Amino acid sequence: MPVGTGPIRASRTELALAEGRHKLEAQVMTPEREVFSGELIQLSTRTTLGEVGILARHVPMIARLVPTELRLHLEEGETQRYAQGEGWLEVFANRARVLVSEAIPPDALDARELRERLAEAERELAEAEEGGAAQEAAERETRRLQAFLEIAEKPTGPA
Amino acid sequence: MEMVAAARLRRAEQRIQAMRPYAEAIRRMARDVSEASEGSAARVHLLEQREPATKVGILLVTGDRGLAGAFNTQIVREGLRLKREYRSEGRTVTFSVVGRRGNSTMQFRGEDVAESYVGFTERPAFADARRISRDLTAAYTDGGLDRVDLVYNRYVSPLTQYVRRHTLLPLRESEVFGERAQGAETEPDAELADADRRASWIYEPEAEELLPMLFEEYADLSVYRALLESAASELGARMTAMRSASENAQEMIADLTLEMNRVRQAEITQEILEVVGGAEALG
Repeated sequence: MPVGTGPIRASRTELALAEGRHKLEAQVMTPEREVFSGELIQLSTRTTLGEVGILARHVPMIARLVPTELRLHLEEGETQRYAQGEGWLEVFANRARVLVSEAIPPDALDARELRERLAEAERELAEAEEGGAAQEAAERETRRLQAFLEIAEKPTGPA
Repeated sequence: MEMVAAARLRRAEQRIQAMRPYAEAIRRMARDVSEASEGSAARVHLLEQREPATKVGILLVTGDRGLAGAFNTQIVREGLRLKREYRSEGRTVTFSVVGRRGNSTMQFRGEDVAESYVGFTERPAFADARRISRDLTAAYTDGGLDRVDLVYNRYVSPLTQYVRRHTLLPLRESEVFGERAQGAETEPDAELADADRRASWIYEPEAEELLPMLFEEYADLSVYRALLESAASELGARMTAMRSASENAQEMIADLTLEMNRVRQAEITQEILEVVGGAEALG
């Protein structure tokens, strides 16, 4: 999928492939455990500013991640996916670290349960006091559940 | 029961280990972002020292179950001692309590508990910690609290746990940044890169916006750590309590057996004396 969708990315990937150093080291961690550690072609996630794709030799970066589908492209046509909670991305010295509150394989998500919890969170959001901490908490929870539900309902096609 | 506690304790110890690299990475990012944002740390809410801090929140971390020696009672005792101390200084105290045991004891003693968190103390998840941390940081940010203390059992070994009081809020910069990572955790080319570091880094969003979020995450991790330490301490205390209960029982069996034999022997001796005495009287 996203590898090579845009002309610039494709040429960068091809160039890197030709140079034989097209991979980056990646680690995905939650406070509870290490979820993934290994080499990748590309890591795709979402920061507060939008979608990012990290290839080998990316410039150093620290970013705030928002709930979305985290995609780890291990090889051409081989992708691991996770529903990622809020967290952090740190890229330095050809190594990308993803630190998130949770990283759940899509098939472990339960769409029906997520829908129920989303309805509940939306109710809380509607009742929360304007501008208070409870409102912010409800907003974040709503966004997380929406993102997870979208991932859970997505048909699982080839990577 | 001692064996079950031992297996659970091992897993609890592993969970404390598992969070370390994550926490270290958050510290490192907080240091980097703080340097890049040049002094904007001074404006982070969670670092704000309030004097006088009149409204104090205390989070007591106890367990859901008993049979763990002094594990629960020493937390409640320390909490009440702190309350007296703060009161004598003219401050008000609000309690939040983790664990069924602490909640029922506080209720029994007629103490007000603002928030109760129960049902996870043997195996706390990060989400539990975050829920507690967000309640406390929200109260701090909204001005309902000027200071937040955590009181929990710090885990040293299965035999040793001690009550620790730790000020969660305001956060101290020196604590968050910690010592610069030594040895294994240092990037091999870190020094080389350090010079032109900040200039070429990308921050999304800006460093000034990232910093408060990193401190918030650090507060979440501090609560998570306290919950994990407490869970390991609870299991350790229970294992020790079970072991000394077994040992006490063994000792008691030995003592009672001895006592029983002594009494029986005394009875026999008495009977012999009576028989001999009777024979002599006849003779």
